[in-house]
Amino acid sequence: MERFLLDCPVTRHDEVALGQYRLFLRMPEIARIARPGQFCMLEVAQGYYPFLRRPMCFEQIFDEEISILYKVEGEGTRLLAQFLPGQAMNVQGPLGNGFPIDAGYGRHILAAGGIGVAALPALAKALTEACGKAPEVILAARSKHLLLCADLFESFGCAVHLATDDGSAGERAFAASVLQRLEPGRGTRVYACGPMIMMRTVSDVARAAGANCLVSLEAQMACGDGACLGCVVESKYEQEGEKMVRVCLDGPVFDTEIIDWEAHNLAYAP
Amino acid sequence: MPTRPDLGIQLGDLKLKNPVLVASGTFGYGQEYAQYFDISRLGAVVTKSLSREPRAGNKPPRLVETPAGLLNAIGLQNVGVEAYIAEKLPFLRERKATVIANIYGKTVDDYTALAERIEAANAADAIEANLSCPNVHDARQARGVTMVSQSPEAILEYTRAIRQATRLPLYAKLTPNVLDIREPALAAEEGGADAVSLINTLLGMAVDAEKRRPRLANIVGGLSGPAIRPVAVKLVWDASQVLRIPIIGIGGICNAEDAVEFLLAGATAVTVGSMTFRQPDAAMRVLDGLEDYMTRHQFQSLDQLIGAMKV
Ligand SMILES: Cc1cc2nc3c(=O)[nH]c(=O)nc-3n(C[C@H](O)[C@H](O)[C@H](O)COP(=O)(O)O)c2cc1C
Ligand code: FES
Repeated sequence: MERFLLDCPVTRHDEVALGQYRLFLRMPEIARIARPGQFCMLEVAQGYYPFLRRPMCFEQIFDEEISILYKVEGEGTRLLAQFLPGQAMNVQGPLGNGFPIDAGYGRHILAAGGIGVAALPALAKALTEACGKAPEVILAARSKHLLLCADLFESFGCAVHLATDDGSAGERAFAASVLQRLEPGRGTRVYACGPMIMMRTVSDVARAAGANCLVSLEAQMACGDGACLGCVVESKYEQEGEKMVRVCLDGPVFDTEIIDWEAHNLAYAP
Repeated sequence: MPTRPDLGIQLGDLKLKNPVLVASGTFGYGQEYAQYFDISRLGAVVTKSLSREPRAGNKPPRLVETPAGLLNAIGLQNVGVEAYIAEKLPFLRERKATVIANIYGKTVDDYTALAERIEAANAADAIEANLSCPNVHDARQARGVTMVSQSPEAILEYTRAIRQATRLPLYAKLTPNVLDIREPALAAEEGGADAVSLINTLLGMAVDAEKRRPRLANIVGGLSGPAIRPVAVKLVWDASQVLRIPIIGIGGICNAEDAVEFLLAGATAVTVGSMTFRQPDAAMRVLDGLEDYMTRHQFQSLDQLIGAMKV
């Protein structure tokens, strides 16, 4: 698949919630071929601290632009937040496999945990177009101000179910228990993106109900291109000599059945 | 009209069109980066370390970013030499890349078998023996060291054996984690290596203060990137004072100026490692910048530059 290395101008940069931003970058070449669930590597620093690029998934894909949604957490995202419209940033992408779009499933449920929602709006749009019907969305976060994109999903026609850990908006519940209540079944496909523990519990509920479940994983990356073997997670099947899959190249989207959740050490998880 | 400088170098019997290489483990098997530039322009591609059998690496997390660099504990995950020959080599050959196969084994026999197999299959233009991976636990415990290249005797034994097993040019990749780099470097030379590669990663670790846990599942890892460059330059300089064979410089090279620094300190070739992660075409920028530098300073060939630091 084709990849680009391009200097892309920032066209818009908004703080959408406390410490959380939406960044629009103009990149016609990449936008034309980018698919929901894919990502790009952004060169955020001028110097060598931080040294590595930052992987960011496509939130929305337009004709000539893409947007990303991120939370300021460390030095990389702190620098990212300082970019102004008109400034250029070097972008490597599109990378990763992206979500498969299969209208053969009768029901589609998107489950977002916290900033994990950033991978899902483009998917919701693509599914709406492919299926002629908007998917259902579970938006879960710690607290009300961390629930993002509800209006965006609603604009596609999605039924949005809100849940917070502290009950400050929607139900006081985790994503997995909301999913349970929505009664997924055979013929349902669930798409989860969020903290590891959230994706694991959502997977368990989906699997128990006989639904298909896809997860979009996160990992520390160096190359983003499958070369360094740094971003691996345990898998039930062997690949390139061992039972590991590369989040950047084999993923970031995996059928939950491929991931060896038992082997995964949650102590290190994001 | 100034003539273009000659960037050619010689590493043993192998003549390279330019001195810019890409480091083992940071360039996959070449295919990963061929989508960003023409890999035949490189002096050579150095492959990920190859072992006789496919090798599983360490448990994740395997990477952590540190100031001006990163720690890795990949653990030499690789497809194994047979899959390399069958599945990875054809692409490198088709793209007309010059290839240095980096090899790793647990025993002398592993190294000699790998060298023989690679020569028999015409699977590389030279061999780099990785005697210095910090991330595997199966090395020379018996000698009280964790890497072959921490023991000059072991280096002598290994390079001699590999030398006898193949006529391919042989380069010994050494660790910086020693008291005096001249001893392992001289041992490699005595063992018959055609060059030494300096340096592999420096041992390091990082601890998560909130979780009170190591950041790498392997606890320790190898440090790379611009953070280690001054250490690497110094070790290249030290080794160059005693060696007759050339030195392949590695460690934090990000741009042409960094590459020139290594050449002036005594390296004959320069290798781009972690910087490829930051800029996938970094090696091409180094190459173009080096040619510019030579033109600007009216150097006709690299001989005028190698070890030419004024002291
Ligand atoms: C992710 C990663 C994987 C590496 N794997 C290998 C390897 O398989 N064999 C080897 O000899 N060196 C390996 N190295 C070491 C590099 O080849 C190089 O010696 C080191 O990174 C220093 O150069 P740099 O600072 O330019 O990266 C690896 C380095 C990194 C960062
Ligand atoms: S980030 Fe390098 S292999 Fe995935």
